[in-house]
Amino acid sequence: MGLQPARTPVPVSLVPWIRTASRRGLLWPLLVVVAILALSPLLSTATELKWTLWLSFGILALSLTLVWGIAGIFSFGQNAFFGLGGYAFAVAAFNFFPATGETLTALILGAFIAALFTALLGYVTFYGRVGDVYLAIVTLSVTLILYTVMSSTAGPEYRIGAAHLGGFNGMPSVPGIAFGNGEFSYRELFAFAVCLAGALYAFVQFLITGRYGEILAGLRENEVRMELLGYDVRFHKLGVFVIGGAIAGIGGALFTAWGTFINPAIFGLPQAALVVIWVMVGGRGSLLGAFFGVIAVQWISDQADKIVAQQTPLILGIMLVVMVLVFPGGIVPAVTSRLHALRRRWRSGRGKKDRTGASAPSAAPPDNEADSDGKPVSRGSLAALGVGKRFGGSVVLEDVTLEFGQHNIHAIVGPNGAGKSTLFGLLSGRHKVTQGRVKLNGIDVTNTPTYERARRGLGIKLQVPSIFHGLTVRQNISLALTAPRKHRQRSASEATVLEMVGLLDKHDSLAANLGHGEQQWLEIGMLIAQNPPVMLFDEPAAGMTQDERKRTVNLIRQLSTDHTVIVVEHDMAFVRALDAPVVMLYHGGVFRQGNFDELSNDSEVRTIYLGRGRDAAR
Amino acid sequence: MDEIIVIALSALTSIAILMLTSLGLAVIFGLMRIVNMAHGEFLMIGAFTTTVAVRIGELSIWLAILCAPVVCALVGAFVELAFIRPLYGRRLIDTLLVTSGLSLILYQIAINVFGTASPGIGTPPGFAEIGSYTVSYYSLFLPVVTVLLTALLYALFKWTRYGLLARAASDNPDMASVLGVEVRRVNLSTFVLGCALAGLGGGLISPMVAVSPGVGQSYVGQAFMTVVTGGPAFLLGTLSASALLGGIANIVSQMFTTLWGLTALLVTAIILVRLLPRGLSGNWSRQL
Repeated sequence: MGLQPARTPVPVSLVPWIRTASRRGLLWPLLVVVAILALSPLLSTATELKWTLWLSFGILALSLTLVWGIAGIFSFGQNAFFGLGGYAFAVAAFNFFPATGETLTALILGAFIAALFTALLGYVTFYGRVGDVYLAIVTLSVTLILYTVMSSTAGPEYRIGAAHLGGFNGMPSVPGIAFGNGEFSYRELFAFAVCLAGALYAFVQFLITGRYGEILAGLRENEVRMELLGYDVRFHKLGVFVIGGAIAGIGGALFTAWGTFINPAIFGLPQAALVVIWVMVGGRGSLLGAFFGVIAVQWISDQADKIVAQQTPLILGIMLVVMVLVFPGGIVPAVTSRLHALRRRWRSGRGKKDRTGASAPSAAPPDNEADSDGKPVSRGSLAALGVGKRFGGSVVLEDVTLEFGQHNIHAIVGPNGAGKSTLFGLLSGRHKVTQGRVKLNGIDVTNTPTYERARRGLGIKLQVPSIFHGLTVRQNISLALTAPRKHRQRSASEATVLEMVGLLDKHDSLAANLGHGEQQWLEIGMLIAQNPPVMLFDEPAAGMTQDERKRTVNLIRQLSTDHTVIVVEHDMAFVRALDAPVVMLYHGGVFRQGNFDELSNDSEVRTIYLGRGRDAAR
Repeated sequence: MDEIIVIALSALTSIAILMLTSLGLAVIFGLMRIVNMAHGEFLMIGAFTTTVAVRIGELSIWLAILCAPVVCALVGAFVELAFIRPLYGRRLIDTLLVTSGLSLILYQIAINVFGTASPGIGTPPGFAEIGSYTVSYYSLFLPVVTVLLTALLYALFKWTRYGLLARAASDNPDMASVLGVEVRRVNLSTFVLGCALAGLGGGLISPMVAVSPGVGQSYVGQAFMTVVTGGPAFLLGTLSASALLGGIANIVSQMFTTLWGLTALLVTAIILVRLLPRGLSGNWSRQL
C-alpha cells in the first residue's frame, strides 16, 4: 500500500490480507486509534477523563448495536450486563490487586461474568422461544430486580473475599486498571480505553462483515425462513446475545476502573433507557453511530445540566419520547444518508468506472453450469405414518398415512378446513404430531425441529413469500447456498440460481422492493439454492397471474427431474397442469387418492368441491 | 402452631401486595398488549395521592385510598390520548420506549414535587392476637380486597357488554371495528381502567411501604414478571402467578432476608419462563 516496494518488499501473502481487511472496514479504526493516541498529549486531563467515561459508554452502546441493530434482538437490560461486569471487576480487583498488583484478570473476569449471566438469561428466553417483546420485558425486569437486590446488600454479611458489596452506596475505592507496575494514570487509562474500544469496534466490524454477519442479518430479517433453511435460530441468537453481554461487561469493567467506584444506580431504569437512547440517536445499525450517539447524548445532557441541574431522568424521558415519536430511524443515519447521496452524485459526475467494476463478477454469465447437472442425485422421500393432530379438544387430522417419493411430483388437495395446512405443519415440523411418525429419507424425524429437518434435506416454500426483506436478492440466495446441511446434494452457483428464477438483473435490489410475483420467485430461488432432495410447496399459485402460474408449473416440472416435489394446492387447474398423483384430504383424513382424472370424475369429490371441481374437469 | 399461622398470614399478605401491584398491568399488558413501562409510576401516583390526602387533606384513610384510582384515571386518560394513541399498530417496542420515557418524566416530576424523603402514613389501627404474635387487621384486609377486586373484574370482563367489547377490541381491532365497535373509545376506557387499578393498588399498599418517588420502580419489575408468568388468562393467570411467586418470595425472605426472597422470585420466574413459555395459564381453556 503506502510502502515502497523496491526497498522493502511486503511479503506477498500480506497484501491480499490487508486488502481484505480494508474492504471489511478494519483498517480505519486502527488509523483513528493511532491518530487519537498521537493527539492525546494535546488534551487536558479533564477532557481525557470525560472521554474515557464516554468510551466505556460507547462500548456499552456498541454491544446493544450488535444485539439489537444488527441481530434484531431488543435487549432492554444491556446495562445489567454492563453493571455486572463492573461489579465483577470491582470484586475481583479488591481480591487480586493487593496480591498480584494487576487487574487485567479482573477485567477478563468482568467480561466472563457478564457473558455467563447473558448465557443463562439467553438460554431461558431463546430456548423457551419467548417472543421479542417478552425478551425486552424479561431483560428489563431482571435489571430492575438486580437494582433492588444490589441495593439491599448493605449488611456486613454481603462480602466476597476482601470486597464488601455495600448496598445502596456501592463499592468505593476500587483499584483501577493495572498491568503489574502500579495503577494507570489518567493518561494511560485513556490510551488503554482508546485501544480497547478500537479493538472491540474492529472485532464487531469483523464479525458483521463476514459470513457471520450475513447470518445475523438473516436473524433480524426473518427467523422463520432462517429455520426453514436449516439454521438453528435459538443457538445463533444465544451466541450473539452472549457476545454482546461480554462486550457490555468489558465496558462495565472499564467504567468501574474509570471512576474507581460502582453502585446499584447502574441497574436503574434511567441507565437502561440511556443505552437505548444512545443507540437510537446513533442509528440502530451503525457501529460508529454507537459512539456518536454517546457523544451527542452525553454532551446534550451535560449542557442541559448546566441550565437545570439534577434533572437527568426528566431530560432522558423527553428525549426518549421525542426520539420514538419524531425520529424513529435515528438522527445520525438521517444525516449520513444525506451525505451518501451527495457522495454518490459526486462520484457519478467523475465517471462510472468503479461502479461497473464492483458488480461485474456476480453479473458474469454462469459458466459452471455443468457443475449442477453433472452429478446424479438421489431422490428424497417423505412419509407420514398414521399421523394425527389435536388442538386442545378438537381433532384436526386423524390417522393419515401418506408416502411421497415414488413419483416426481405429488399433489395434495382438499377444501378449506380439510387439514391441508395442519398436515403441512406436521411435515415441516412447525406443529408436533399428537399421534404417528414422520420419516424423511427413511429416518424418523417425528421429534426433530424444523431447522434439523431442513439440514437433512427438506426444503419448504411457504404460501406468503418468506424472504429477507431488508437484504439484497443476492444476499438472500447466498444465505440459502451456505446454509448448514447434512444431505449430499451439491448446490448450483449463485448466478445459475438467479438466472433460473429470472432475477439476474435484479441481484442488487433489496428484496423488499421486488414485486409480489418476484418475491415468490426469490423464495423459490432460495429453495433451489438450498437444493434439498425433498421440496414442499404450500399453495405456490396463490396470488399469481395466469402467466406466472404457467412459469411456476414449468419450473416445478423442471425441478422434479431430480427432486421429490410435494405441492399443496387449492387451485384445480394448477393441479391438473402438474399431471401428478393427487391425494385429497377431507375432514382430517385421506378421502381419495389417484390421478387427476379419476378424482375429477368422482361424484363425491365433485359434490365436496361443488362448482370448482366441475370447472376444472371441464 | 401459632408461628405457622403467622407465617402463612404474612405470605398471604405478600401475595395480595404482589397481585394488587400487578393487576393494573394485567389489564393493560395482559389484555391490551400495551407494554406500559410507566406502570410503576401509576402505583407511585396512587400511593402519593393517598399519602397527601391523609396528611394534607386530613381525609380518613379509606376515603384517601379511594382518591388514588380517580387521580390515576385522569392521568391515564391524558397519557392514552397524548402518547399511546399514536402508537397503536406500531411496533410494540415503540410503545415500550415511549412509556419508559414517561416513567422517567413522572419519576423526576415526583422528585421535584415531593423530594426523595418518604412521608409515611401509619397503618390503620387494630390488630389480631395469635398466641404471642400480633397481626395488624390491615394486612389481613389486603387479601380480602384482592379476592373481591379480582372477582369483580372477572365479572366485568366475563358478563358485561363492555367486557366483551374490550376483549374483542384487543383481540382483533380491525375485525371489531368492522363489526361496529368504536375501538378507540373502548381502548381508552380499558387503558384508564388499568391505570385506575394501578392507582388503587398504590393507594392500598401506601400504609405498608415507604412512599417515595422510586416506590414504583421497585415494584414494576416484579409486576411484569408476574403478568408474564401468568400467561394469557390475564386475571386468573396473574392471580396464580402472584400466589406462586409471592408465596415463594415471602417464605424465602422470612427464612433468610428480603434479598434472597427477591432473588428467589426472579429465579422462579425465569425457570417458569423456560418450562412454560406461554405462562402458567398457557394451556388453560379459560381466557380470563
